[in-house]
Amino acid sequence: MSKAQSGLKMSADRNYSVNGETAHAGLWMDPRTKAVILFLCVLSATMAPSMRYEMLLVLVIACFGIACRKVRYSIAGALAYVAIYFMTIAALKTHGSVQVMLVAFCGLVHKVYPCGILSGIIISTTRVGEFLSAMNRSHASRKIVIPVAVMLRYIPTVREDWRFIKDAMRMRDVSPSLKSFLTHPGMTIECIYVPLMMAASKTADELTVASITRGIENPKPRTSYVEIGFGIADVVAVVIFLAMFLAGQLCKGVFL
Amino acid sequence: MTTQSSYLDKKDLTVKDLVTIGIFTALFFVFELIGSLPFAPNPALTFYQPFGIALLCGPVFLLMVAKVPKRGTIAILGIINGIVWFALGMHWGMDLGYIIMGLVAEIVAGIKGRQNMKWNIAAYSLFCIGPAGAFVAYCANPASWVQTMLEKGTAQEYIDTMTATAPVAALPAILLGTIVIAVISGLVGKKLLKKQFERAGVTEARS
Repeated sequence: MSKAQSGLKMSADRNYSVNGETAHAGLWMDPRTKAVILFLCVLSATMAPSMRYEMLLVLVIACFGIACRKVRYSIAGALAYVAIYFMTIAALKTHGSVQVMLVAFCGLVHKVYPCGILSGIIISTTRVGEFLSAMNRSHASRKIVIPVAVMLRYIPTVREDWRFIKDAMRMRDVSPSLKSFLTHPGMTIECIYVPLMMAASKTADELTVASITRGIENPKPRTSYVEIGFGIADVVAVVIFLAMFLAGQLCKGVFL
Repeated sequence: MTTQSSYLDKKDLTVKDLVTIGIFTALFFVFELIGSLPFAPNPALTFYQPFGIALLCGPVFLLMVAKVPKRGTIAILGIINGIVWFALGMHWGMDLGYIIMGLVAEIVAGIKGRQNMKWNIAAYSLFCIGPAGAFVAYCANPASWVQTMLEKGTAQEYIDTMTATAPVAALPAILLGTIVIAVISGLVGKKLLKKQFERAGVTEARS
């Protein structure tokens, strides 16, 4: 604790690298705060009284993203949502089965979009080390925390692997399409699953070695280069999202 | 270095196991997304979303259990799936379903010590019922379900079409269909494991 008391709390001007590229840290928040924000966002989106309210929610999320220096992602996300918003309004004016299809699609997008974009911002601005430290500090079970941390980092890699596998399949005249799945099911299944799962088990071994080398098994409390703790930014962010949630519940009429 | 040998046959989940579970959960999640993509946005097919999930994830599930045949593997998979789908704004019935069926599958696979392929496939088919949790919640109380979905921004017409294509009576068909598809997927996975992974030494040979 003495380190924290010495007041050497790292402030906003740190640079660190996320996914290999150096990003300016921007607003720094405790991963636990981010989890709380995400929870509030899920609640708000789940019980959203209207589409206009969701629009506002997405804008608030975009502001949060810009504060975290995810400017391009946030603006693109907000613009895409505006497009979906108007598409939904247009879809409501059509008739028959076209309307059902379009509205159904838009309904699902509206339900998932705010949470998805906020998850994207949170995942890309949280380093694994910070996440582990924060979870360790709040005594979350390692049995959940480690797999979640590994999983969040591995999902982008799956996409990359998939691209290589597709290339390799084309080279051997197996096309990874629905048509070839129907004509040669066994072959296609093998060509997709085997390399993916082989790569996965190899990565698991390598990652284990790497994390044990870095002392993940150490039973002592984890130390971290970045000081984990709550600051003013955390309080402000939680208050904003809490206000957003309460506004949606208590003043429904405003958003209709 | 006394830990080297005892480390591998430790009963509890080691870091290696946890990392392996994390990686395979990621793969599981990706296949779930691919599997539910053709179903979820379509009102006539949304009830059959568990089919898509059950169809694709079998081999991943079986390989994961084969690689980490310890207590807690399947339960952790279920809990993480519940958390992730909740964070993506899915209906709470689905999230709760994942966690509950994860625990049930854990017990079923545990009866034979996670070594028996048939019981593992049975555990997988039970696990696949988890995503149907949202529809079980629907059948328990359709009126309130429609209300939450409406508040979530789903259009009335979407729900009408959905209700028309899948009345309450279809629930057993959905559950049964999910189990059948899961068993097929499991058998494909079993074949795959035997043909490719045992030979390559990724897993040990099992009956």
